[in-house]
Amino acid sequence: MGHTYKIDSQTELVHALKANDSIALKSFYTSNYHKVESFVLKNKGTKDQAKDVYQEAFIAVWKNVKNDLFIPKNETALQGYLYQIAKHKWLDVLGSLRFKKTHLLENEVALKDAFEYQHEEEQEVYKQKLRQAMDAFKSLGSPCKELLTTFYFEKKSLREIAEELQIEETTARNKKYRCMEKLREMVLASKT
Amino acid sequence: MKDKNNISQELLETVERYHNDTMPKAERLSFEARLQTDAEFKTLVDDIQLLLFGIEEQALKEKLEDFHEALSEPIKIKKRAPNRMMTFTWFGVAATIILLVGIFWFLREPSNSRLYAQYFRPDPGLPTTMSSTENFAFFDAMVNYKQGQYDKAIDKWMVLHEKEPQNDTINYFLGVAYLADKKEERAIDYLEEVANGDQDAFKNDAYYYLGLAYLKAENVEEARKNFKLSALEKAQSLLTKLKD
Repeated sequence: MGHTYKIDSQTELVHALKANDSIALKSFYTSNYHKVESFVLKNKGTKDQAKDVYQEAFIAVWKNVKNDLFIPKNETALQGYLYQIAKHKWLDVLGSLRFKKTHLLENEVALKDAFEYQHEEEQEVYKQKLRQAMDAFKSLGSPCKELLTTFYFEKKSLREIAEELQIEETTARNKKYRCMEKLREMVLASKT
Repeated sequence: MKDKNNISQELLETVERYHNDTMPKAERLSFEARLQTDAEFKTLVDDIQLLLFGIEEQALKEKLEDFHEALSEPIKIKKRAPNRMMTFTWFGVAATIILLVGIFWFLREPSNSRLYAQYFRPDPGLPTTMSSTENFAFFDAMVNYKQGQYDKAIDKWMVLHEKEPQNDTINYFLGVAYLADKKEERAIDYLEEVANGDQDAFKNDAYYYLGLAYLKAENVEEARKNFKLSALEKAQSLLTKLKD
């Protein structure tokens, strides 16, 4: 029954990724990096570039797992998926360096229809908004940032957070709310 | 704009429950119904959810830096202890490889790359005139393939491949597209999959292109093995030239 065990471990990995389990994220990150690095290095890239595409790919995999867009079908599916995405991202970088000027206008634009344009536009708007939220959070003051990270990313309960900070649970709850208000203000301010 | 800025603590916590999928069913149904009818409410909820996504993604991004630093620790330990014996072994291996490559270079006749160039024609692909909605994504990629945009075709087929890793048609075209895109090593992965699979439709072609991929990769032994397994005439004719 070794096979079943392995599929289970992919299911477990999916669970762990969805829950932002730090240990699982870290081991998933470190165990798959070197393969991607050697691919990028073999294909005219540098270590820094390898790191960039790998991290982008890692976030993409994490997002797709979170949104149930990727469901593993075999025992190494997630690892393979991460490698494929990173590889394609790197090939895209290489490709756009080489072909951007000549091919883009003639082929890509011609093949897109109106629907695709509209869809892309919506996606662009969403991405833009997400970036604003991320940037705002990045520059949020550290007490708020830590509190929101423990609550929303590490998914600790308010009770656990209150215990760690040695405050009342209601105080933690109010703090969290005020931090979110602050973050929202920053996002709204950055829009204008 | 003032009221748009206000989110109540209650609303925040409602959206949290929705976001984490911890709403009781009845609450979720009425919540979703309100999202459908109340556009202003929906904008507010979307905004809050976006914040939650943003926090998580940014937090992860910052964590990745820590993970990355952890990567370099074990490597440093390895580098600190260069082993004399190991170095000698590697010199030996390198020398042997150089010698073997030299001998191989000397003996091979005619040139494999010339043979490859003479025989390799990308698979013509499948007709795309039919308007099959079911396989739209597949034939959409086929259009790219036929126009020689192999990387684009590969990207699209790759999405389908994730869903159906055992589909021999997708694997076959991924293989030939990679080969046409001069990435014979990737091509070999997918073509092997087709050759070893249980469907017969593409087998003869798969063996043939697999042979060509190996020929391109300068692995004559494997190339010969695969040409032998293909019933295609061109595979057999190539085989005789390889033997010369």
